[in-house]
Amino acid sequence: MHEFDWSSIPNALPFLWEGMKISLNITVSAVIFGIVWGTLLALMRLSPIKPLSWFAAGYVNLFRAIPLVMVLLWFFLIVPHLLESLFGFPRGSDMRLSSAIAGFALFEAAYYSEIIRAGIQSVPKGQMGAASALGMTYGQAMRLVVLPQAFRNMVPLLLTQGIILFQDTSLVYVSALADFFGAAYKVGDRDGRLVELLLFAGAVYFVICFTASRIVRHYQNKLKTA
Amino acid sequence: MITMNKVSKHYGSFQVLADCTTQVHKGEVIVVCGPSGSGKSTLIKCVNGLEPFQSGEIIVNGVSVGDPKTNLSKLRSTVGMVFQNFELFPHMSIIDNLAIAQTKVLGRTQEQAREKGFKLLDRVGLRAQAEKYPGQLSGGQQQRVAIARALAMDPICMLFDEPTSALDPEMVNEVLDVMTELAQEGMTMMCVTHEMGFAKRVASRVIFMDQGRIVEDDSKEAFFEHARSERAQQFLAKILHH
Ligand SMILES: Nc1ncnc2c1ncn2[C@@H]1O[C@H](COP(=O)(O)OP(=O)(O)OP(=O)(O)O)[C@@H](O)[C@H]1O
Ligand SMILES: [Mg+2]
Repeated sequence: MHEFDWSSIPNALPFLWEGMKISLNITVSAVIFGIVWGTLLALMRLSPIKPLSWFAAGYVNLFRAIPLVMVLLWFFLIVPHLLESLFGFPRGSDMRLSSAIAGFALFEAAYYSEIIRAGIQSVPKGQMGAASALGMTYGQAMRLVVLPQAFRNMVPLLLTQGIILFQDTSLVYVSALADFFGAAYKVGDRDGRLVELLLFAGAVYFVICFTASRIVRHYQNKLKTA
Repeated sequence: MITMNKVSKHYGSFQVLADCTTQVHKGEVIVVCGPSGSGKSTLIKCVNGLEPFQSGEIIVNGVSVGDPKTNLSKLRSTVGMVFQNFELFPHMSIIDNLAIAQTKVLGRTQEQAREKGFKLLDRVGLRAQAEKYPGQLSGGQQQRVAIARALAMDPICMLFDEPTSALDPEMVNEVLDVMTELAQEGMTMMCVTHEMGFAKRVASRVIFMDQGRIVEDDSKEAFFEHARSERAQQFLAKILHH
């Protein structure tokens, strides 16, 4: 029977916290970029201009059909080279964080765009009509009238997707980037306490995600009664 | 002010509007009525280009609606429209509902827009509700706000699409009163409505539509006393019984 020994955790907390910061950084950046790019994709998908709509549909279907870990791997392998040759970044500079964020953002945008598209379509058609009748352009009507209502209905879904994304950030281990999971793994490996560290990391993920989904559910109920 | 010449529209093989021709002069109040699905909403939505049409011509204040070169947004900002379901913006306060298009479309300052908004809310008797949200108001109040919102743009004419048909009966009159007052002040209006009392009081002319055609287009006296078509007579007999 395995003897549990938690003693290596307290000393490792600062290092683990550095890892948590990387996880949060990736999550927040990818959520923001993903929502912005996802919104643009949703608008393209709904646009009457066929090539735009085809492009968006193709993008979404492509990214939803390949595993996230593969997208991340491609980004680690390809993006640094691309940036080096395109912008003359010095060879060997650490692009792992940026390529992780880029990979997650582009991948998540495909999911966000479907949520946002449904959100836009859930706003009654008459709202666009009323905004247009007041002389607003299509862009103004979208920006001032339709999207704010769409987002208000979508916030719970977008946040839930963000929680999933937070869990998925652990996949950056493929690039040896020390996110929270990676940091925990390293400490456990070094001290020969892998089981304890991974149990601890799991507990932390659970507490954060569980709390966050509780908050989302609370917000959702408030929306319903409003 | 509004001229329609042989306006036709179809969805596939289904004809929604067929050769609709009529004119609305400055200061006239036109009531449009007819059975459900006869094309009334479509007709008035063509006037501000909210619905495209395939053939014919509509001229509003000298501007051709169907011309691809026409700036439709600009045209629409001069034509007020009121919908059956109010279509207030639920995420904005009442006063913001009145101010948003004034600032974003007409380029007025926030102060000018709010001042104008308050004046119009006063006029429809809802000044006290300015900071509330649409969901907190009754249907009748929301529709009066929607009228005020359209008026805030200083429109040259107003279009109404069944403005009272989604309202509880006891709220119909507060909305009709605002419309009557507007008519008496000389606003040019096209109203789709089945409120025949309103038509008798303020209409200059009545248009009766059936299956996408303008079947009757006559003074209200002529329409109510001796409608020519059988369809209109049947329609009137049914509606006046209520
Ligand atoms: N997008 C569409 N595609 C196909 N047919 C349509 C479409 N929109 C409207 N129609 C049809 O066009 C006809 C006219 O519609 P419209 O809404 O103008 O009628 P209406 O006279 O306003 O009726 P109501 O009194 O019910 O409001 C209806 O038969 C309707 O089914
Ligand atoms: Mg209608």
